[in-house]
Amino acid sequence: MTTSVTGLTKRYGSTLALDHVSLEITSGEVHALLGHNGAGKSTLIKCLGGGVAPTSGVMTVDGTEFASFDPRTSIANGVAVIYQNLSLIDGLNIAENLFLGQEVTHAAFVLDRVQHRELAQESLARVGLNVNPNTLVGELSIGQRQLVEVAKALQRNARLLILDEPSAALSKTEAERLSELVLGLKADGIAILYVTHLLNEVMKLADRVTVLRDGKNVWFSDMSAGVTKDDLVEAISGESAGAISRPHPIAADAMPALSLSDFGGPGIGPITLDVKPGEILALYGLVGAGRTRLLQTLFGRLPTRSGTVAVDGEIVSHSRPKKALSARIALVPGDRAKQGLFGSMSALDNTVIRTMGQLSRGGIRNIVAERTVFDRVSDRLSLRPKSEVLPAARFSGGNQQKILIGRWVNDRSDVKVLLLDDPTQGVDVGAREEIYRVVRELAAERGLAVIVATNEPDEVMSLAHRCLVMQKGKVVQEIDVATTTAEKLLALIHVDAVPVP
Amino acid sequence: MTISLRQRLIQGLVKNPLLVLLIVMVVAVQIATGSQLNWPNLRGVLLDGAVIAIVAIPGAMLIISGYIDLSVGSTLALGGVTAGMIMEGGTGNPALAVLAAIGAGVLVGLFNGVVTTYFGLNSFIATLGALTAVRGAAQLLSPLGRSTFGDAFGFLGVGTLVGIPVAVIVAAVLLILAALFLRFTPAGRHVYAIGVNREAAYLSGVNVKRIPFVLFVVSGGAAGLAGAITVARLNSAPPGQLGVGFELVVLTAVLLGGVVFTGGEGSMFGVLVGVLFLGLLNNALTLLGVTSFWQNVATGLALVAAIGIGAYIHVVRQKIESAQAARLAEQA
Repeated sequence: MTTSVTGLTKRYGSTLALDHVSLEITSGEVHALLGHNGAGKSTLIKCLGGGVAPTSGVMTVDGTEFASFDPRTSIANGVAVIYQNLSLIDGLNIAENLFLGQEVTHAAFVLDRVQHRELAQESLARVGLNVNPNTLVGELSIGQRQLVEVAKALQRNARLLILDEPSAALSKTEAERLSELVLGLKADGIAILYVTHLLNEVMKLADRVTVLRDGKNVWFSDMSAGVTKDDLVEAISGESAGAISRPHPIAADAMPALSLSDFGGPGIGPITLDVKPGEILALYGLVGAGRTRLLQTLFGRLPTRSGTVAVDGEIVSHSRPKKALSARIALVPGDRAKQGLFGSMSALDNTVIRTMGQLSRGGIRNIVAERTVFDRVSDRLSLRPKSEVLPAARFSGGNQQKILIGRWVNDRSDVKVLLLDDPTQGVDVGAREEIYRVVRELAAERGLAVIVATNEPDEVMSLAHRCLVMQKGKVVQEIDVATTTAEKLLALIHVDAVPVP
Repeated sequence: MTISLRQRLIQGLVKNPLLVLLIVMVVAVQIATGSQLNWPNLRGVLLDGAVIAIVAIPGAMLIISGYIDLSVGSTLALGGVTAGMIMEGGTGNPALAVLAAIGAGVLVGLFNGVVTTYFGLNSFIATLGALTAVRGAAQLLSPLGRSTFGDAFGFLGVGTLVGIPVAVIVAAVLLILAALFLRFTPAGRHVYAIGVNREAAYLSGVNVKRIPFVLFVVSGGAAGLAGAITVARLNSAPPGQLGVGFELVVLTAVLLGGVVFTGGEGSMFGVLVGVLFLGLLNNALTLLGVTSFWQNVATGLALVAAIGIGAYIHVVRQKIESAQAARLAEQA
């Protein structure tokens, strides 16, 4: 069986998430899909899974075109996507999850529990999971849940299994077991599309490789042609388009704007570091390396367990977000929709949600001053469209990010330490460069200490003065960005690293 | 950015579809009944509506911020009985009676506020419990009820200033203050922010506990005040009957007025329209000679229809906004 995608294009407003992408996956092969965040991998797998309808293009199974683009059609065509956020129901047991929506019944109503258990046991044996099918899914580890999800897909006759960064959250042993399973399924004639950041996995598992960049196919090869990790690194990062912009120079003798000493929280630290005014520091590492945790702890979202935080040389309290803000520390969270935006509220309200209190007189808003703040900051960040009244949810990802940056860095804010968590997640390529420019300029103009958590080498290169490599909640290496390259950074975490338990 | 009058009108109607229905209904009733909807009749509608509005104002704000107060019917009874105990026989101080009624309501509000915001209990469940408990408290306080409160206190219920019932003036003032609060104070905007995205509000330094807490206290106080007005009007305070089912009437008016049950959206203008619609619908049906059983059927269906229309308009609005955003982005 061959599933193929031809000329697949997905347009979001003025952004092309996928630009005539083609791909072919056949039974009994592991096809690796590589690319940076935002390269179009997740849009592509969502199209295959039926979660997103492409703007144009065709998907076929053995030459027969998909009749429509929805999850039902994809399942009927044997396509199963195992997303990173698994779709199992914690409160049901394994057997119930496996049969959800396809229950075996007596006389159309009464569940046949005996048959459920027997069939479930068979499915679990196939994925090598030795657990009682009556166990609640909520009690399983992430690795076990993933296996249940694979079993569920197989039970529904999946012939193309799409795995979205399946090892990202697994321990080393679990990841190894998963690799064995993938090879076993391949031997059984299942087609596997394997999305990953880890090049070691590609070398070990893949038969063919497709690399996406900026929504386009940029590289394809059969692994039997003697592909090396260096080839993959080069294909993913691509030729750097001319000279990449670098951050503005900083005064070497300045007092640090932010100092952490022996700083630690749940799963991170102890970490000691200084950031000078105007300096941009990258925390670089894979998902789960503790980058996000460090920022959330520093902002008071997670509890601090040890050490001190000083802003401009003064030790500050940051036990809650409100206190962190008073200490002039601000966070632009990685999950914009959940932790940042007020989706149905206007761009103006979103921008001045904190500033409006400082501008108000006698408890009454100073709307004129708020407008001035919005006007200046939206010009400064080239917000598009520049509209006060449009709800924040209606802006593109890049412009939502600008609104959130503007919330903390505007004419009336006193923020000294700006924490950016994965700032270009879900931001298209054009807006990405603009956000880098804005952050570089703001850092220099206002003497901000900026910490950027990222897993994108290009982001480190375009933004940071210094780069700290994180692994298992600790800083394992410091890198002078001026003397490194994106390729070296990519190789550093993606080739040598083992997944963090 | 300038918006033409026509666009403003369209936007206004999209936001308040019920207003159109309201106007159509009034005109239709006028024609059908030959102008029976006159001032004395309307005054009755407004007086009923005023009591609902006083409680619906903080009630709507609670729903906007993602909470709900179901205890208001019993709190109304508690407030009414408290005022009645002071005024029985017409010898007490009317001002003191009103303050005591509000105070009794505030106590209930404090309880609701502490339990839901500081202990984090689900407000639906906590105030459902309070609904029953407070009813019992009112009955314990005065098992047989009180009556005959004198003219001075009765003024609150039936008196008028320049021809307008006192309670209507109170409701109108509160409504305007609440609308100004929501629009022109940071705390007012925070009410929406908490309802739209509590986590983001917390991470933006908004006090996500204090604002709902204060709203619960105000809601209790408002229900107490509504209790004083109600017993002043009835000239009696039966603890078992006062405000039974009132919380659902308030909720119906608030939801009719376009306040979104899951929080984050709604306005005081909407609450006004919702209260008026509810009152005028029942009044229209009475004038048309429809029995109260059929009135219940009509009111219930109106709520379901209003929510359905609201949901549909929400989808249309999102499409309009997206198109607007795309257009603006291209111009830039």
